[in-house]
Amino acid sequence: MENNNTRVAIIAANGGMFDAYKVFNIATAAAASDKEVGIFFTFEGLNLIHKEAHKNLAMPEGKEHFKEGFEKTNVPSISELLEMAQEMGVKMIGCQMTMDVMNLEKDDFVEGIEVGGAASFIEFAKDADISLTF
Amino acid sequence: MMEAVKVLDAKGMACPMPVVKTKKAIEEIESGEILEVHATDKGAKSDLTAWTNSGGHELVDQTEENDVLKFWIKKS
Repeated sequence: MENNNTRVAIIAANGGMFDAYKVFNIATAAAASDKEVGIFFTFEGLNLIHKEAHKNLAMPEGKEHFKEGFEKTNVPSISELLEMAQEMGVKMIGCQMTMDVMNLEKDDFVEGIEVGGAASFIEFAKDADISLTF
Repeated sequence: MMEAVKVLDAKGMACPMPVVKTKKAIEEIESGEILEVHATDKGAKSDLTAWTNSGGHELVDQTEENDVLKFWIKKS
């Protein structure tokens, strides 16, 4: 298959369940379309790759009734999407500074992530064709 | 029409799974061969068409019967 070298740079800065779906749906769809995808997880966004937290992300307040819709629509779980994203080579960078502030170590996160600062993300994003922030 | 060498059943799957599964399935066939995909996600109609274009593949045919969308994708 051709690799058209389109690069997608995503910042994940929020940690709710809806945020996770927005980030991972776009990321997996892009990766499945042979785009080169990198996600920078910062502040609450770190929830999305936290070993435990990503399995039980909160719905926005007052939107809990959508739970049923998620089940009925057979939407994949965040764990599944995260696994897919990693399988397809999505680059994931956890924000070192936020991890320090929150007293988190690399071991607290799913395997395969990188830890870096804003400059690491900027280096990846400088050649991005598509930049998204969630 | 050419015969599909592989059939992917993506029925019942929600976005973005049909596209993700199609990507995996197409890696298992050879260039010039045809992958047949079945999906019920309404978004798959535009998504799989877009995905096919972006990968340089060819959408040979597409049908819709009883809410099941069928796609025949020829690998580039």
